Amino acid sequence: MKKAALILMAMLFVMSASAVLMAQGYATQPADAKIIPLGEEGTAYENQEPGVRGGTMYVAAISDPKKWNYVTSHETSTTQFTNMMLRGLIDLNPVTGAIEPELAKGWDISEDNLVITFHLREGLKWSDGEPFTADDVVFSFNDLYYNEDVETDTRDILILPDDTYPVVEKVDDYTVKVTLSMIFRPILNSIGAPILPKHALAQYVRKLNPDVPVGTFNSCWGLDTDPAELVGMGPFMVESYAPDQYVTLVRNPYYYHYDANGTQLPYFDKYVVLTVASQDVSLLKFRNGELDALGIRATDVPILKREEAVKDLTVLVNPDVANYGTSWIGINQDIGLAEGTYENLRTLFGMRDFRAAMAHLVDKQAIIDTLFNGLAVPQWSPVSYLSPFYAGRDYYGGPVTETDAVVFEYSLVKAGELLDGIGIIDRDGDGWRDYEDGTRVEIELNTNAGNTEREGTCLIVSDRASKIGLKLNFIPVDFNTLVDKLFASTGEMIVLGLTGGDEPNNGANVYSSGGGLHFWHYSAADEPTELEKKIDGFLDAAVATLDNDEAFEIYKEYQVTLANDDLGLVYTVNSAFTYAYSNTLGNANIASPSATPSGTNGLTMDLAFRK
Amino acid sequence: MKRTGILVLALVSCALVLFFVVGMGSSVTELEDIVGNEIIGRIAPNISAAAGMKLASEYAASKTQEELETLVVSGTTAGIRTAARMALSIVYAQKTVIELTALATGDIDPAFREAASAPLQNFLIEMSADDLKTMAVSGATHEIRLAAADLYYLKIRNNLTAEKLEMEAVLNDSDELAHMAGVYLGGFYLSFNPKTMEELEALAKNGETEGMRVAGATALTSLLIQSDLTAGDLELAIQALGDEYPELLQAYTDALAHRYGS
Repeated sequence: MKKAALILMAMLFVMSASAVLMAQGYATQPADAKIIPLGEEGTAYENQEPGVRGGTMYVAAISDPKKWNYVTSHETSTTQFTNMMLRGLIDLNPVTGAIEPELAKGWDISEDNLVITFHLREGLKWSDGEPFTADDVVFSFNDLYYNEDVETDTRDILILPDDTYPVVEKVDDYTVKVTLSMIFRPILNSIGAPILPKHALAQYVRKLNPDVPVGTFNSCWGLDTDPAELVGMGPFMVESYAPDQYVTLVRNPYYYHYDANGTQLPYFDKYVVLTVASQDVSLLKFRNGELDALGIRATDVPILKREEAVKDLTVLVNPDVANYGTSWIGINQDIGLAEGTYENLRTLFGMRDFRAAMAHLVDKQAIIDTLFNGLAVPQWSPVSYLSPFYAGRDYYGGPVTETDAVVFEYSLVKAGELLDGIGIIDRDGDGWRDYEDGTRVEIELNTNAGNTEREGTCLIVSDRASKIGLKLNFIPVDFNTLVDKLFASTGEMIVLGLTGGDEPNNGANVYSSGGGLHFWHYSAADEPTELEKKIDGFLDAAVATLDNDEAFEIYKEYQVTLANDDLGLVYTVNSAFTYAYSNTLGNANIASPSATPSGTNGLTMDLAFRK
Repeated sequence: MKRTGILVLALVSCALVLFFVVGMGSSVTELEDIVGNEIIGRIAPNISAAAGMKLASEYAASKTQEELETLVVSGTTAGIRTAARMALSIVYAQKTVIELTALATGDIDPAFREAASAPLQNFLIEMSADDLKTMAVSGATHEIRLAAADLYYLKIRNNLTAEKLEMEAVLNDSDELAHMAGVYLGGFYLSFNPKTMEELEALAKNGETEGMRVAGATALTSLLIQSDLTAGDLELAIQALGDEYPELLQAYTDALAHRYGS
C-alpha cells in the first residue's frame, strides 16, 4: 500500500542466487525491533493471530519482472518483488491506512512544520548482515532519488512547488533531519520511499564512484544480477529466478519485525511466485490447490464460490468496497512526434473533442455487467475511490455522493456528433470514418494479453466504436511490451491501469505536465498547454497547505478539470474488492484494498503463515 | 443451518445399518477402516467413496503408481477404488502432455482416463475457447470431453450468466457441456443468483435435465458443508436416498467426504 501510494506501477521481475542465505540472522531480538501486535485486542491487528514459522507460500503472476531495481522501475511486475525486499522510513498500516514508523522508530516535527527529525531504529542490519544507518537514508535521497542521473519517478512526488526538494541530512548514525523550504502536506507520505543500501549500490553511482559512466545505476540490479548482490531490509529476498517460470524468495534473516511472542517475521521460509501465461491459468492453479492466494476477478467468483466450502477456501466479495487505483484508456497525444509520422492521428488525439467522443463510447454499464458481474463502479477521477480526497465526496473524508461527478454518459449519438464536428466523417461511403484527406481513421488499441477484464473492455469499446464507424483494431500484447510502448510513446491507444492510494500527490508523477509517467503527453514537459499548467497549479497548491479541507477543495477542482477538460486519460470502471485464499493460510484475513493492493500479495504477506 | 427434509425422511425410514464411522475429523486410520470395510462398501458405497476421497493424498504419498493402478481396478470397495483413482491423478501430474492425452483418450478403464484428465487440464488450458468447445463435443472419450468442457466454461467465464448457463444445461446437445454448464451454474446459485437449500434440494432431485440437477447438487454440496449436519446425519441421509436420485446422492456424498476430512 505504501508502495502504491508512492508510485504508479505497472509490473515486473527479478533474478536469482542463493548466497543471500549465508547471513545467520540476529542473535537476539533487536531492542528497536518493530513489534506487530497480532491478536491483541484494541489494536489494528486484533483480528489476526500470532503464527508459526515454516513452509512455503505460493502465488502467481502473469508477467516476469523487468529488473530488481526499485528506484528505476515503473511497473508492478517489478515492484511486487521489490516491495518485499525493501522498506522506508514510514509505512502505512495495512488495516487502518495510518502512517506509522517503519525504519524510523519515530519523528519530531518542528513548530513551523518545516523540519522533521527522524530517529532510526538502532541495531538493524541489511539482509547481508551490514549495519543499517543514517548513511543509507542520506544516500537513498541525495544520491539516488535527487540525482538527475538516476531515472526515477520518485523524484516527481518529492519535489516541492517551489522546485526544491526536502533537504535530507545526517545528524548522527541514527538521526536524519529533513528540512523543507515550504509547507508540504504529504511529506511523511512521500518521504516513505524505500531506503536502499549504500554499501551495495554506491559503486554504481557516478557521483560517488568516478570510475563508472554516468547512468550506470539505471542498469544495475537487472535480471542478470547475482541474487547474492540484492540487499534489502524487507521480509523476503530473491533466491532464484527462472524466466517465464518462477521467482523464489527466501526469508530475510535480518528482518526486524517480530510478533508479540518474540517470533521473528516473516513466518514463511519461502515465498514462490509462479509465472503463468494468463489469469485463466492462475485461476485453474488456485482451484487445484497449487496457489495459496489469488487476487480474483468478479467473473471468477461463481467458480470459486462453488469450491469455497468443498476445498476450504475463503472467497472475499465486498461490493461496497472499491479497489484503489484507476483503469483507463490512454490516448497518446505524442504518437509519431519524435519520428515525424502519424501526423493525422496525432492531430486527432490532440483534440479534446476526440477524447470526449471516446469517453462517450465507453459503455461502462456493459463493462460492469458483463465483465464484473456488477462488482464494479463507474470511474471518472484520477483519485482513488477510497481516498478521503476523492471528489465524489462532498467534503474531506465524507461519504461518496458523486454530487460533482464528471459523467460522459455512454452515447453513440454524442460520440458521433463530436466526431462529425471535428471533420471525422465517412467520406467514401464504406462505413468507416475518414480524415479530411480521405484516408481512413484506423487506431490500434492495445492492452496486456491474458488480462481478461482489460481484453473484454477493449472488445466492448471497439465494438461500440464500430457502430459509429470508428475503426479500432484491438491487439493484445505482452505486458512488458505494452509498458515499453507506453514509455517509448509508440502505443496509439492503450487500456491499462495504475495503482493508487489515499494521497493524490502520489500521482504527481503521472498528472503533472513534467511527470515521468505523463505518458500520454510527454512533450508537455517542454510545452505544457494552458490546461496542463492549470493542473500543475492545483497539484502545487494542494500540497502547500496543511489543512486537509482546503486541500480537498483544491483536489476537487483538479479532478473535475482533469476529467472534464483535459481528458488525458479516459476512465472506465473501478472494480470492487475481491480476493480468495486457502484457509490453511493464517492471517490471510487481513486482505483488503489496503493490505493487498490491486489484488497482489503485498507487504502483509510477512504476516501470513501455514496453519 | 436447519436440517433438511431428506434427513427427516432418513430418520423415519432408514433400515438398520452397521456403521463404523465417526464424527467430524476422521483420522487416516479411521478412514482406512471405513474404506476397507466391505460391508460398508456393499451397503453404503457412497459412504465408502466419501472416505476414499479423503485418503487420496495419503495413498499418493504411500503407494506406487503400479499399486494405485491395481487398486483402481481391483480395489475391493468403492472407497479403495476412489482413493486410488484420486491418488493416481496426483501421481499422473508428473506425466507429459503426450502421456496424459494417451491415457485420457485410451481404450482403458475409465478410472484411468478420469485420473489423467485432471492433470491434463494444466495443458488443455492453453487452448482457445473454441478449440476446447470442439474437444468437449468431439473428444475421443467422455473423460476428456468433460475436462475440455470444464475449461471451456472457465475460458468464457466473462460472458457467463445464470440465464445463459441454464439454457446450456437444458438445451445442450453435448452431455458433457450440459453437465459442466450445470456445475458452473451451481456457482451462480451460491453467489449472484442465490437459491435456498430447499430450492437446491428440489432441483438436484427433480431438475428437468441432468445439467440442472447437477447445478442444484453442486450448490447444495456447499450448503450442506456449511450446515450443522454431522457426518452421522449425512450418512443416514445417504442410506435413505438409495440410488434413485444420483445427483442428490452425490451432493451428500461430497459433503460427507468433507466432514471426514475436517
